[in-house]
Amino acid sequence: MLEVQHLYRSYRGIPAIQDVSFKVAGGEVVGFLGPNGAGKSTTVKIITGMLRPNEGRVLFEGHDITEAMVSYRATLGYVPEEAHLYPYMSGLEYLQLVGRLRGLGEALIATKATRLLTLLNLESWQHSPISTYSKGMRQRVLIAAALLHDPKLLIFDEPLSGLDVVSGRLFKDLLELLAAEGKAVVYISHVLEVVEQVCNRVIVIAKGRVLADAQPGDLTRLMSLPNLESVFAQLVKQQDTRSIAQEMVEVMQIGNA
Amino acid sequence: MHDLIQRLVARLPLDFRVLYGQFLLRVIDLEALSIQADVPGFLGQFAGVLIMLSLVHSVVTYVGYVYITEAHERMAFLLHIQHYLIATTMLVVGLATVISWDATFPDRRDVMVLSSLPIAPRTILLAKMAASIGVLGLAVFTLNVASGLMLPLILGAQPGPVLGQFQSIPAWWFALIAASAFLYGSVLTVQGFTALLLPRRIFLRLSAFLQLAAFGVFLGVYFVQPSLTTPAALAAPGNQWILASSPSYWFWAMFNQMNGTLPAQLFWVAHRAWIWLGLAVSGAVLSMMLCYLRTMKKTVEEPDLVPGAGSFSWVPRVGNSLQNAVAQFSIRSLTRCRQHRVAYAFYLAFVFALAFSLLRTETAATAPIPLSLVLLAPTFLMMLFAVMGLRNVFSLPISLTANWVLRTTQVRPPEKYVAATRATLLLFAVAPAWLLSAALSLRFRPVIQVAGHLVVLALVGCILAEVCLIGFYKVPFTCSFLPGRANVQLTFWGSVMVMFTVFIPCMQFEQSALHEANKFGFLVCILVGCALALFAYNDHRGKSAVIHFEEIPDEVITTLKLNA
Repeated sequence: MLEVQHLYRSYRGIPAIQDVSFKVAGGEVVGFLGPNGAGKSTTVKIITGMLRPNEGRVLFEGHDITEAMVSYRATLGYVPEEAHLYPYMSGLEYLQLVGRLRGLGEALIATKATRLLTLLNLESWQHSPISTYSKGMRQRVLIAAALLHDPKLLIFDEPLSGLDVVSGRLFKDLLELLAAEGKAVVYISHVLEVVEQVCNRVIVIAKGRVLADAQPGDLTRLMSLPNLESVFAQLVKQQDTRSIAQEMVEVMQIGNA
Repeated sequence: MHDLIQRLVARLPLDFRVLYGQFLLRVIDLEALSIQADVPGFLGQFAGVLIMLSLVHSVVTYVGYVYITEAHERMAFLLHIQHYLIATTMLVVGLATVISWDATFPDRRDVMVLSSLPIAPRTILLAKMAASIGVLGLAVFTLNVASGLMLPLILGAQPGPVLGQFQSIPAWWFALIAASAFLYGSVLTVQGFTALLLPRRIFLRLSAFLQLAAFGVFLGVYFVQPSLTTPAALAAPGNQWILASSPSYWFWAMFNQMNGTLPAQLFWVAHRAWIWLGLAVSGAVLSMMLCYLRTMKKTVEEPDLVPGAGSFSWVPRVGNSLQNAVAQFSIRSLTRCRQHRVAYAFYLAFVFALAFSLLRTETAATAPIPLSLVLLAPTFLMMLFAVMGLRNVFSLPISLTANWVLRTTQVRPPEKYVAATRATLLLFAVAPAWLLSAALSLRFRPVIQVAGHLVVLALVGCILAEVCLIGFYKVPFTCSFLPGRANVQLTFWGSVMVMFTVFIPCMQFEQSALHEANKFGFLVCILVGCALALFAYNDHRGKSAVIHFEEIPDEVITTLKLNA
């Protein structure tokens, strides 16, 4: 369904991603992992059509998305990392705006928006301005907005950020059902336990390059490591966090008698 | 002198200096400006416009003084110019106060950042007040930099002041500063006591209405209050209520009292200025001192999360779903964001001032009024201010970081977005201005000519809307304009020139066309042709346009100069 081919993108001559390629099929939940600054956001921005690559292309159902961006966007649902919303609108009004921009009928918007807000426990808040929402509530509005038009491809960038335990569980169940419905899901997260639980496949990216693309079980088996966290640490050559923490405490105490 | 100021500044506490610098930059909301704007340059250009106005005022004062030779006419002219300059200064201070409405109060961001630092609340209060006073002081100074010398120099040469110009110059500047202090102090008093007495949530809602009300009052009083320009008019019993209720006359009287030129029977007006100045200043100090700690506590204690209890938010539906989305997004942005409301209120104030003046003409007439420029000019100007105002407000961004949703949901071609913006302009600017004009035309005759004018007005409205769309390949409120790069001076004076060279001849042509069927037909054909041509042009350009959204503001690095 989605095919990313040899993406390269640089900022002021500094490459952010290089030769990034992967595929996501319908019914698949693909985890996209990497440390800060690895190039995840750049890749996601290119996949969502918000950024153009210097090289490479993104195909959706065999077509280059830049050639049919309008129809591609109609099939895309996206939950960004930061919950940036128009703060003066209510949750219901925000969903109405998104529905209208996507060309849905008024009756359909009303039905879907109200039901999604109820299911996401935002019913009593639907008329309050988003500025009064907590981070988790904003995240739930974003998830509702991404699902409103029944997209074929869903991109979730840190969707559990700010969600409570119950909402987190609900979201994990939702991912499974979306995959069962044949949707292609790209799931970006730092919470490796969740990725291990919900993703069929994992792509690990570091310093702008894809380091691994396999099923979580295959990765742990191949590298003879107990879990995905250990695999991730080894692949991205994670620094010794304990010694860094120790050094930070020492810096903090400089100047003390 | 510079060294002396530096030494004096260095004596101020460091935390005060740092906060003052930060608050001074935030008196005007930077979110309204482009992410690439040159803020100091932008403010400098506004100061330039005020200085130019001051030069114009001083030239008019001098020319009027030299060319009016009749003693009583000269006195009337000088009385008028004194009152006009004081009233204009009060208007500018009032508008600056409205624009920086919340600048004196700590917002949630201030409280959250500063309350964890070892800074006394009084330091925050003083720094905030100093920043607001600094901006207001600059406005007063630039607006009077030339006229504030020219007028008192002339007045000092008249009989009355014992010390001549040495008396009139300080008296004039004292009166200007006192008038400004009265206005600023009054606003602070009202705000302070409201914040003190009301729960914070209600205060914030009420404060938004108070801001708009203050805006309307300042502009309304300026445009509507009559000018009393002769000693007889000032002394007339029927006019005493004007003197008693108009602060600009109080401070005019204060100046003349200090200048030694106030008739004894008007001393009560000057006394009113002194009393109200004292009340405003002491009220501001008292209320701010009392409310500051409490306001900061309220800001911290106010719960972030309160569920909503149903809401009525009807907005008219327009055309297809995209037009509906853009229109509703625009009207919600406009009505719910204070900064945008105030900006549009500035233009609407002109619309209502014109409407009010027209209404006053109609109510004063005992018989139907023959159609003339009395109707044509205000209605065209109302349409112009309504459309251009909305277009300009469209350029003020709401929340750049939230624009990603518009990009990811852009599932229709760009010309549809242009059409949606057109529908919004027609619905929320052209239609209301036309309806208001139609309502105000009821007393004018003959009816056929009035109907003809309304047809022309509607076509002009459509043309203005199309002109506003040229190059505007954006959704309203999603991109910022470049005020720091636009030449405010050129725009301001260019508009004044266009007004005199194009607008007035067009009015005269329309007036003659309304009397001749052939000429009127020709005028309508020209206007329809222009409207259609502009429509086709915008539609054609829209097809190949790329809808533009701004999203990521440049990172701002602020130097606190802690080692200064």
